[in-house]
Amino acid sequence: MSTPLHYVIIGNGMAGNAAAAVLREHDPECRITIISAGALLFYNRYDLPNVFRGTESWVDLLVHPPEYYERNRITVRRKSPVIDVDSKRQVLVLAHREELHYDRLLLATGGEPYLPEKLKDSRPLMHNFGTYRAAMTMRAALPDGGRVAMLGGDVMGLDLARALIETGHQVSVVTDERTFWPHEVDDQERPRYYEALERMGIEVRDQGEVDRIVEGAAGMPARHITFACGEDLYADVVMPFFGIAPNVDFMSNSGADMERGILVDGHLKSSSENIWAAGDVSQIWSPKSKSYRFYYGYRNVRRMGETAALNMCGEAVEFDTNDDDVIEIDEAGRIQSPFWEHD
Amino acid sequence: MATHDTDVQISICGSAGDGTIAAGDLLKQAMAHAGYRVIAFNTYPAEIRGFGKCIARTRISTEQVYSMKPRSDVLISLNDAHAIPHVGEVRDYGSVIYESAPITRLAEGQHISGHVRPGQLPYGLPLRELSERATGSNRSRNMVALGFLAGLYAMPREVFHAAIKAKFKTKPKAVSEATIAAFEAGLEVGAQTHRFDLVELGEPPESLPGNVQILSGNAAVAKGCIEGGLDNYFGYPITPATTIMERLAHDLPVHGKRMLQTEDEIAAISGAVGAGFAGARAATATSGPGLALMGEMLGLGVMAEVPCVIFVSQRGGPSTGLPTKTEQSDLNIAVHGGAGDAKRIVLAPTNVEGCWRCAGKAFEMAEAYQTPVIVLLDLYLSNRFESVNFDPDENFNLSIPRGKPKHRPGESFRRYQVTDSGVSPRSVPGEADGLHPATGLEHDEFGHPSYEADVHTAMSKKRHDKLNKALKHPAITISKRFGDTGKVDVGILAWGSTFGEGLEAMMLARKEGIRCAAMKVVMLSPLPEAEISAFMDDCDEVLVPELNFEGQFANLVSGTLGRPLHRLNEVTGHPMSVSAILDQVRALAAHNARNAA
Repeated sequence: MSTPLHYVIIGNGMAGNAAAAVLREHDPECRITIISAGALLFYNRYDLPNVFRGTESWVDLLVHPPEYYERNRITVRRKSPVIDVDSKRQVLVLAHREELHYDRLLLATGGEPYLPEKLKDSRPLMHNFGTYRAAMTMRAALPDGGRVAMLGGDVMGLDLARALIETGHQVSVVTDERTFWPHEVDDQERPRYYEALERMGIEVRDQGEVDRIVEGAAGMPARHITFACGEDLYADVVMPFFGIAPNVDFMSNSGADMERGILVDGHLKSSSENIWAAGDVSQIWSPKSKSYRFYYGYRNVRRMGETAALNMCGEAVEFDTNDDDVIEIDEAGRIQSPFWEHD
Repeated sequence: MATHDTDVQISICGSAGDGTIAAGDLLKQAMAHAGYRVIAFNTYPAEIRGFGKCIARTRISTEQVYSMKPRSDVLISLNDAHAIPHVGEVRDYGSVIYESAPITRLAEGQHISGHVRPGQLPYGLPLRELSERATGSNRSRNMVALGFLAGLYAMPREVFHAAIKAKFKTKPKAVSEATIAAFEAGLEVGAQTHRFDLVELGEPPESLPGNVQILSGNAAVAKGCIEGGLDNYFGYPITPATTIMERLAHDLPVHGKRMLQTEDEIAAISGAVGAGFAGARAATATSGPGLALMGEMLGLGVMAEVPCVIFVSQRGGPSTGLPTKTEQSDLNIAVHGGAGDAKRIVLAPTNVEGCWRCAGKAFEMAEAYQTPVIVLLDLYLSNRFESVNFDPDENFNLSIPRGKPKHRPGESFRRYQVTDSGVSPRSVPGEADGLHPATGLEHDEFGHPSYEADVHTAMSKKRHDKLNKALKHPAITISKRFGDTGKVDVGILAWGSTFGEGLEAMMLARKEGIRCAAMKVVMLSPLPEAEISAFMDDCDEVLVPELNFEGQFANLVSGTLGRPLHRLNEVTGHPMSVSAILDQVRALAAHNARNAA
């Protein structure tokens, strides 16, 4: 009787969990370990705006109850950041110095919110929204009816903006080339989309570069943004939404080819033996554009996880790179993004 | 969070030398002083130091509780190798706190984070590093962990500081300062940690009435001894009774009384019987193996009708057995052990307050009925800590009348006179007109040896009958029924420390709609037959849970009353779980319902 394969998945998001489900289905005897830097089981980050719609506990956001992992024999190693991948020994090193052997490895670490260099000094004055904890911290900082200034305004930010408007808050989007990221909206189309945002109740501040962010004066909202043009904006909370940057620092010794993300072929296989990648971390070869590119959004990410898992089990399934998701304005004049649609 | 909802159990697990028990001790002291009700139990290895697993479990509540919870809400690991097997004891949405920066590389599975179950919440922090930064030494990891716990759950730091200062009050000030520094280092991290678990520690009650103290069972025994007028203690150390002697060694001289450490258990009970004969309130304490050695002198005490008290804290047996594990397997030797029909009084408290009360009452009974009294504890009770609300106005009777020696002209003092009560007048050496022989031989009313059939019969009857008065002894609960009144589906009949688990199981069963009652039996000899019989009359099924293999109490009850009952026996070395009893109650109730249908 052969030893069951040990599949290790680094990343506890949609791609990693979708992969785990497929692995269990196709290899009932295998060991599956999901490794996560966070403390929580898999929750749907796309549901985080619901903290403004009555969700009071992270338990309500869980995609699977704890019993699911017990029942499917999926080990979830939380609070266990990976600091090194030794692809020759097929060993991971965790931050607490434990070594973990893998037979097949899936990288599904997703990304960190991207912050332009010029704004990094202001990071302590801004709130993120990428995790449950960050969401709750932001919620606590925002008074009823308070104003949020969104710098950039990618589609994740705009999804939150919809929830904030719906719940009686005010939102100002400070536009940038990354507004609507990852959708690409050309300069000619932008005014039409800005108008649509305003119809949705979102204030658009298309005033160029932010000069500085400081704490608001006594009796004023908590943050004061000054623009290079001399205009200013007061807000209770400032949030950067400039898209995400893949989280691949720990892969420097893995031997896998990297650019901004892990470079993978159409089977989501990296250049390193027994290592695949899926989700926001994977940069997939597109035969059409003859380049490596990212694919975002709930549906793409889930399908990447499933595809990678099938291939890790020995199949040869191609990730369909032809499904380009587009942003559009519906008949009611409201912006619609496929990235806002999820289970 | 409503205050009445607080019911949190915290387990700290480490290796001997990690300061596991010390951390648990500070936790329970601090929480008791904050106003919570506390019950705590430590398990530790037989070896002194350097290896072996220690676990300090502390249950913190705003309502009175009666046992340890089967599953903890929080587990702190000070040694992953020891703590990993206990991760499963943490409930879902409870938390596991551990060292996140070990100094050596670990093979797969050696770090506790790999064993945290999906429903539990992990909290790692660099205990060693924080300890070294705060104190220059890694030895305060336990205090860092305790501080983290306090910060995480917003426990008041002041009560911990006070507990630390009290613990180290005899050490140089630098010791408590370093300990507080380590505690604060952990607290700072804990306070800044976002908490995801669903463990809630509500506000403590405003205040608890009376004189609240947190004591172990053995400490309560020592307190009862002092307040019960103990004059002379004779002891030989043995786990788990040793701490009784240690406390009395300190406390007795303070009260102008004496403690003597003897060369063995035989000398200890000989001293106690001798002092009792001389009119002093005297006692010794031991465990099962020691009680076995004391059998002969115990018999002398019965035969010569000498008051003395023997505290017996049971551990796993037979022989040296399991010195640091709990068991209730010395009932037989306590009730029946020794040569001849040597009936004696045996009391078995069920909680820490009961340890105090039984200790004090044992001296009253020993004098009132002129007999040795055994107070039967067990390791779980001896080492268990509870916050106890003592009534400052409640006192033990320190002056039991002995009766005055009376003479008929030309006749000697009838020390063993047969009276209506069975209790004879008693003199002490040197007392006027009280001269009499005292012997282990059977004797007549004067104390003169006699082997006549009618003398032996009359004296045997006298020695037995007088003890029945103890069943009506004032201000002590001999037995008590709890739960549903009238007819019930299942009755839980329990003794000693296991009664607490039985009581909680009964409460849970009632919540499930099972008609259930529980009776604690404190006096094992003489047995309160009428009360037990009445209880059994009301129960369709009777369950007797106890920590011994043979069902010694079940045998005692069924042998005495000739009535059927169900047994639940465990010899795991650990307290019986509430769930084990509850499962049996459910099964018996279901069986009963099927029969009724």
